[in-house]
Amino acid sequence: MDNVHQAKRVFLWLGIIVLIGGAVFGMIKLAGRTPANQTALLANAVSTSDWIQGNKDSKVVLVEYSDFQCPACKIFYSFLKDIESKYGSKIQFVYRNFPLSQHANAMLAAQAAGAAGKQGKFWEMHDMIFEGQDTWATQSSADAEKTFASYAQSLQLNIDQFKKDLNSTEIKVKIEDDYQGGIKSGINATPTFFLNGKKLPPPTSYGEFENAIVQAINANP
Amino acid sequence: MENLKTPSSKQSTLIPKGLVWAFIVIGFLGFLDATFLTAEHYLGSLLNCPLFGDCEKVTTSPYAVIGGIPVALMGATYYLAIFVLGIAYFDAGRARILKFTANLTPLGLIASLWFLYLQIFVIKALCFYCLISAITSTLLFILGLILRRGTKTRIINEELS
Repeated sequence: MDNVHQAKRVFLWLGIIVLIGGAVFGMIKLAGRTPANQTALLANAVSTSDWIQGNKDSKVVLVEYSDFQCPACKIFYSFLKDIESKYGSKIQFVYRNFPLSQHANAMLAAQAAGAAGKQGKFWEMHDMIFEGQDTWATQSSADAEKTFASYAQSLQLNIDQFKKDLNSTEIKVKIEDDYQGGIKSGINATPTFFLNGKKLPPPTSYGEFENAIVQAINANP
Repeated sequence: MENLKTPSSKQSTLIPKGLVWAFIVIGFLGFLDATFLTAEHYLGSLLNCPLFGDCEKVTTSPYAVIGGIPVALMGATYYLAIFVLGIAYFDAGRARILKFTANLTPLGLIASLWFLYLQIFVIKALCFYCLISAITSTLLFILGLILRRGTKTRIINEELS
């Protein structure tokens, strides 16, 4: 009887270990992306309608699908600033909008950046929006609009034009195009990066992110 | 070692089996939830957040990590302990194990209340998966209270036998 009981105990605990292992594995699978997504390709090629900075002739193209209100995108914004200062002459960086519906002011922020872009100051506004994310993210959309107008003022934009462009169909259509392109590329999180057309696995650290970019630069001298 | 031979015969009616099972199952659900959040933390996957859309605001906040360790990982460890100890009670049939496990549950409740406070008043965003954890830890605390009562008499009986 003792042996039977001991055997039962061994099976019980083996079962528990397998259950725990399976649960951990399952949760990692659920939280992560599928391998198919990791090798997904950028659906829409970079064009002149995109917001581009860095070296426009470079063969290394980093496309970011981002949401101005997403906290992780703000973290990557600071990463990208560093990448830009180190490798700005060797890569071209493309910003595409992927405003998530759960972020109440993300669309408005994208419109503000687009409206500033109409006056040649997309990237300046892009920076100010990310820097000020904590301020406007919690505001009502009317207040957030005022905040963006104050950014436009400090960038010395034509305010009347900015306000008109902010709500223009043209800007909204451009954002929607970006968004649909993101959907076609199989995006399920922001920020999502495509390096030379291939989706990057979600970087877990700055070092990992920088490594991927340096490798691409070395492969495309 | 006597109790290992026939553990089930030692389980008195003072500790309802159903409640212990509920305790174990809720512990396991909490473990799944916290493991998912831990995986999200390390993989940087930030979508798929139902009901309230602000999971990432909570999970990327400075409060999500204490001393370099994500709180989700601490939560996963806590729930795993509850689950394994619950099974260990059934295996060994010792009420002391159950009492020890039940004594852990206030820790989970306090941690959950603290995180709930941070979400509502400091971060000002709610995270669906964190709320699930708040529910599981509250349920574990309540079950812990009931089970602890049952264990008192059992431990006395065990010591007399």
